Amino acid sequence: MKKANHSKLAVVASLAIVPLVLSACAASPDTSNGGGSQTLTVDNSFVLKTLDPGFVYEQTGATIVHVLYDTLVTFDGSDVSEVKPSLAESFEASDDAKEFTFTLRDDVTFADGSALDSEDVVFSLNRLKNLKGSASQIVSGMSFSASDEDTVVVTSDVTNPDVPTILAQPSTGILNSEVAAENGATDAEDAATADSIGTYLDTNSLGSGPYTISSYDPSSKVVLTANPDYWGEAPGYDRVVLQNVDVQNQKLTIAKSSGDEVALDLSGALSADLPDTVQISGVPDTSYFLSLNQDPAVSELTSNRAFVNALRASIDNAGIAKLFGPDATAASGVVPPAFSGALDPSDAPKQDIEAAKKLLADAGISNPSASLVYPAITYRGVDLGTIVTKVQADAKEAGIAIELTPQPINVFLDGQAAGQNEIGFSPNSLNYPVAASLVNNMAPGASTSLRNGWTLERADASAIDASEAVIAATTPEERVSAMQEWQRVMNEVSPFIPMANNSGIVVATENLDGAVYSPAGWTIDLADISSK
Amino acid sequence: MPLLLKTIAKRLLTTVALLWGVTVVTFLLVSVVPGDPAAANLSQQAYDDPEIREAFRQKWGLDQPLIVQYGQYLWNILHGDLGVSQQTNRPVLEDLSRYIPATIEIAIPAMVIAIIVAVALGILSAMRKGSALDNGIRVLSLTGLSTPPFWLALVALYVFFYIFGWVPNGGRLSNMYDPPPTITGMYTIDALAAGQITVFWDAVWHLALPVGILAVLTISGLLRFVRSSMLEVLDSDYIRAAIAKGLPRRIVTWRHVFKAGLLPVLTVSALTMASLMGGAVLVEQVLSWPGLGQYAYKSALGLDLQAILGVTLFVAIVYTGINLIVDVLYTVIDPRIGAK
Repeated sequence: MKKANHSKLAVVASLAIVPLVLSACAASPDTSNGGGSQTLTVDNSFVLKTLDPGFVYEQTGATIVHVLYDTLVTFDGSDVSEVKPSLAESFEASDDAKEFTFTLRDDVTFADGSALDSEDVVFSLNRLKNLKGSASQIVSGMSFSASDEDTVVVTSDVTNPDVPTILAQPSTGILNSEVAAENGATDAEDAATADSIGTYLDTNSLGSGPYTISSYDPSSKVVLTANPDYWGEAPGYDRVVLQNVDVQNQKLTIAKSSGDEVALDLSGALSADLPDTVQISGVPDTSYFLSLNQDPAVSELTSNRAFVNALRASIDNAGIAKLFGPDATAASGVVPPAFSGALDPSDAPKQDIEAAKKLLADAGISNPSASLVYPAITYRGVDLGTIVTKVQADAKEAGIAIELTPQPINVFLDGQAAGQNEIGFSPNSLNYPVAASLVNNMAPGASTSLRNGWTLERADASAIDASEAVIAATTPEERVSAMQEWQRVMNEVSPFIPMANNSGIVVATENLDGAVYSPAGWTIDLADISSK
Repeated sequence: MPLLLKTIAKRLLTTVALLWGVTVVTFLLVSVVPGDPAAANLSQQAYDDPEIREAFRQKWGLDQPLIVQYGQYLWNILHGDLGVSQQTNRPVLEDLSRYIPATIEIAIPAMVIAIIVAVALGILSAMRKGSALDNGIRVLSLTGLSTPPFWLALVALYVFFYIFGWVPNGGRLSNMYDPPPTITGMYTIDALAAGQITVFWDAVWHLALPVGILAVLTISGLLRFVRSSMLEVLDSDYIRAAIAKGLPRRIVTWRHVFKAGLLPVLTVSALTMASLMGGAVLVEQVLSWPGLGQYAYKSALGLDLQAILGVTLFVAIVYTGINLIVDVLYTVIDPRIGAK
């Protein structure tokens, strides 16, 4: 009887095991995921909403749009110090840096073979401005016109020598205006409500770039195919597959890969113990700083400059940089080293506990205690909780009590926008790769400053003067110098305490050429990658 | 009216009322949850520009009073429209039709394996109560229950992909293959329908790890329930009486204990299935499996209201639907339950 029971159970158990065995024994294709030397695989934890240049703002989307749509100018590799020709073979700036005239190449065609001209440029840039999405903000205050078929004039309401840099951003990619309009796109002032192209651009590339869209699945995979009629140098791979892969999975995958593979999210400590068979490229382009609220109604303590400077003196920037991994640097100012205008990393302030204690004592502040609010996330491989715990320990040495308040990202963003955080902490990347863009956000009375109660009225005159000097500079060289001076002043009188700069990183298999990290706004130029 | 039809009609009415309740509660909850969708979806500078912020609110109807927003939402649902996702810019229904088949493709095989193994081991464990085999099975079950799913997924990925190379590194298909033409959205079935045998096997190969992990996680809970259910039946008077009457143990086990013990297991299995259909967020995240769990997770992070409401409604429909089926099955198996 027992035997009979066992037989039945054995059958039942076998039935359970069969599907597993079948699965495991099924055809096991090549695990390299390459599928041939003409396919490049890019592993990325997708931050992807759209492939419409007018709306693209997220990392994955920007990386893809950059190779689908050409821009007037661009950057080469990881060097963002100088814009290079792209659709525009040259450009001229007026003396007051308010008017820029771009001369277009005459040999550019879209992927469908039709010619690109100034009308397409004006349409695309006007559409970007009028859509009123996240990306629209970078061209606010600009207007666009065409004086002839090959000439585009960009006018800025204010002096802005960084206009060419802004026009290298993926969101300023040029669409085939005729086909776009046929499918519902509009560049009219009411484009925010009237544009009806919807998701058409997710599956159809109306650009002139080196790649076109082959398939689009925002949940798992985007496949690009080389544009056979591209006007420039042909890209290194016929096919690029971007696949959505979790960061831990990326690490295993790139370590095991036999070739033609890139991982985009292994920053920080995650890249520390990768095998020698991979190549790593990175540039410190993200800054991490504390923001202390200057509104006395929110906090009497953090709006006291003596307290700000005491906290600044208590923090061990070099120690915090170590927490980010081998490519991070201690911060000398708010501009990360990837960009012109950064202060020399060797000028980073050293921890000085005695100075911090003295500042507090001189100001009559005893047993100070403040709340530090931060988003409970891991960013670029680093848990932000680890960083603020170090801040808490550093401050404690100077007698400052920091209460850590982690929040879900949405709650944090809400509180930050409402200007309610006593001390805030989050990573900061530039809107476009020029240091002066920080002044637009962090000068007294600018958006980030207002979120921390730093109004013009509450600011020191030296900070206002230094900010105005940056804005008044009409050449990139003048801006670099003004930016450095601005940061020195900010280190004295602003409510921001820069601590460290972390690198964006590209990890690639050793057989690849041109797989370099770019702080330009697109992480990596997929068209530049080729097999050695 | 026959008992079965009466039961179905009664349950359908309750289900509709329940789903309406779900829309009210989830809509209110989503509306009062801290966080501004505009802040979550716009860049800081764009958010600080009143014109852009207002354009966003207008576009997504957030400038309307709550009651108007709910009315619009309900009206759209009744017309088969779940709204448009702020994250993907696509209709939520279209998004769900992309993510749900991926979840079904791992949930059903995982559940089938789990039920077969859990029932077999649960019965064995109950029949051998107190033996070394029973203790071993219970320890295994406890270990499975106390293992965090994401940790199990990471370890499984490390061992079976990185060390042995038996399974792929995640996703639904290898990069050399394009998805088969969409019929059901399940790659294995669609590949077979299109006659793409290589793609079919590649899809099966990609199922191995997520299905295996979900099955292991499900087995642990289920087999404990099967065991206790069987023990309860074994301890009942009528079973003792049957054994005392000299009925062969094989007959007692398979005709009486098995049937009576499996009735509650049916309910638990159904609820477990519904839970799997809701998405195994962490497992899907680690294995880059583009299922409903990932969609729900990203929607919640981005405060994508329409998507959150869509996922919640779908999960509610699955739960109520499965409950309805279980109720009907109960009535079929034991009409006395339906009569109550």
